Amino acid sequence: MSDGTLPDLDPVIHAQARLRVVSALSQLNESDRIAFPRLQEILRMTAGNLSVHLRKLEDAGYVEVTKTHRGRTPATLVRLTRRGRFAFEEYVTVLRSLLPPGETP
Amino acid sequence: MASIDDESSFEDPAEALRLIEREQANLERELTPDPRLMYWPWGLAWLIGSGLLFLRYGPDGRVFVDMPGWLPLLIMSSLMIIAGITTGIVGSRSSRQVSGPSSRQGAMYGFAWSVGFTSFSVVFARLTRAIPDELMGILWGGGMVALVGALYMAGAAIWTDRDMFVLGAWISGVNVVGVLLGPGWHSLLVAIAGGGGLLIAGLVGWWRLR
Repeated sequence: MSDGTLPDLDPVIHAQARLRVVSALSQLNESDRIAFPRLQEILRMTAGNLSVHLRKLEDAGYVEVTKTHRGRTPATLVRLTRRGRFAFEEYVTVLRSLLPPGETP
Repeated sequence: MASIDDESSFEDPAEALRLIEREQANLERELTPDPRLMYWPWGLAWLIGSGLLFLRYGPDGRVFVDMPGWLPLLIMSSLMIIAGITTGIVGSRSSRQVSGPSSRQGAMYGFAWSVGFTSFSVVFARLTRAIPDELMGILWGGGMVALVGALYMAGAAIWTDRDMFVLGAWISGVNVVGVLLGPGWHSLLVAIAGGGGLLIAGLVGWWRLR
């Protein structure tokens, strides 16, 4: 997936769309879940596109997707798992270490 | 931004870090209620309501504007009810579709506001007949403003929001000074320093989120 220039980075996170998803989710409190349509609206991604990336994140165990009901309407809730949070922090640490000395983003 | 749907990655770590920061700030902005809508309705209620109270019940019993005695309090409480409804709606809308501990926190905090106001209203209404007209402003105004100051400081503790704490402490201080100075002065202080403080808080909060 990664083009090989930054080899130490977690390939699950190191793709623009998924990095955006994980970054946004990382900002929620640890046990908070956000509804799929709301997340989609905040990220400005299409439903299909977001689903694809969520599935990849879910397969890696980084994201937990739960189907539930709110009254009569079904709702899909998304949350970053502890594992996902850890992987994201790890990813950020590696990114920082790859910065040329003295440079701040 | 909308069209990024591929597996494209970055060659520049700084670019990735900037993207992370942008997305985190964006989510924060989306889930935080607009500070202008949260503070300005209260600021206006105090500026107008308490300002009218000052004009009708000035210091040493002076009447700057001759209006019916019940009018300023009626306007002030109506404006505060409107402000309460507005902030309730705006506050719950922003956390809509997020479930978990933080939305429960928000709901409990909102509930604390309405219960606090209702309780104080019941207590003050019981005392209203026993209290001379010129002290009504101190009772209602002083009591409600004390409640607001304390709730803002408590809210600051929940969301670790230093600005909100400063606002609550400022409001509480202004209130106590006003009550000690006496009727009339209290209304003037609450209108200008209290209402003004709320308007500034809305502006500062909005500025920080932008």
